[in-house]
Amino acid sequence: MFDPKTRVLVVDDMMTMRKLVIKNCKELGFSDITEAEDGAKAWEAVDKASPPFGLIISDWNMPNTTGLDFLKRVRADSRFVKLPFVMVTAEAEQHQVVEALKAGVSNYVVKPFTAQSLREKIEAVHRKITGAK
Amino acid sequence: MAQLDVAFFKPFVEGAMNTLKTQCSIDVNIEKPFIKGQKPQPEFAIAGVIGITSPSFNGTITLCFPEKVFLGAMSRMLGEEFKEITNDLQDGVAELLNIIFGQAKIILNQQGHSIQKAIPTVVRGQNISTRSMTKALVMVLPFKTDLGEFHIEICSESSM
Repeated sequence: MFDPKTRVLVVDDMMTMRKLVIKNCKELGFSDITEAEDGAKAWEAVDKASPPFGLIISDWNMPNTTGLDFLKRVRADSRFVKLPFVMVTAEAEQHQVVEALKAGVSNYVVKPFTAQSLREKIEAVHRKITGAK
Repeated sequence: MAQLDVAFFKPFVEGAMNTLKTQCSIDVNIEKPFIKGQKPQPEFAIAGVIGITSPSFNGTITLCFPEKVFLGAMSRMLGEEFKEITNDLQDGVAELLNIIFGQAKIILNQQGHSIQKAIPTVVRGQNISTRSMTKALVMVLPFKTDLGEFHIEICSESSM
């Protein structure tokens, strides 16, 4: 699992969903959690973060800068090519999953989700980046 | 009203049951659907409305909660007690509707409806009621929980 000291960025335009994801992240042991309400503010936070974020959990369907636009912006910056990015979304049609994978998403959580399913997706991302089994 | 057969509203029923169970730990049972106006409905305090468009029909889906049911659902979802519907809390109805709509959309699009993404709107107040601006009938799907009832209203008319 990720080091509990990992800086986590939670992005969602809906306050209740941010609260839910943050609650789940705290249950997973994370304590350094920043929130942003849209993709533009999230990018600003990522760009300026020091120390950098170690995990992003973002909604897809947001006004103005969507989660997908935000993901593309993150991946276009050489500093963040490997930054773990989990997309949480109610949009689960196959073409959308493919679109997110092409854009470089690390994993994909479909709403509704439980704390357990979010944990499993985050653990899978950690295994992927560390090569752990 | 051709779209309002069982095959059309079943995905919303399943979406609502799955969403409330998974996200809010609430067991939900569907009661007998009825046409709006044929039976009294509870006093709703908050509703989320989402417009649906497809090449063959247009309509709206409305998710309506009495205050007690909504506050109970949010309390269980977020693990803290809420005593009033605040500005911060009200987007919860939009989120639940988004999730229900997202699940229903997958199934309906597999049936060939080509429903597009949509953004929900929140309506809040005392004893709010919805009224369709079309002549189309509105199907009410009543759901029963241990907290009380909540409803989904589906209004649809052909756009062809």
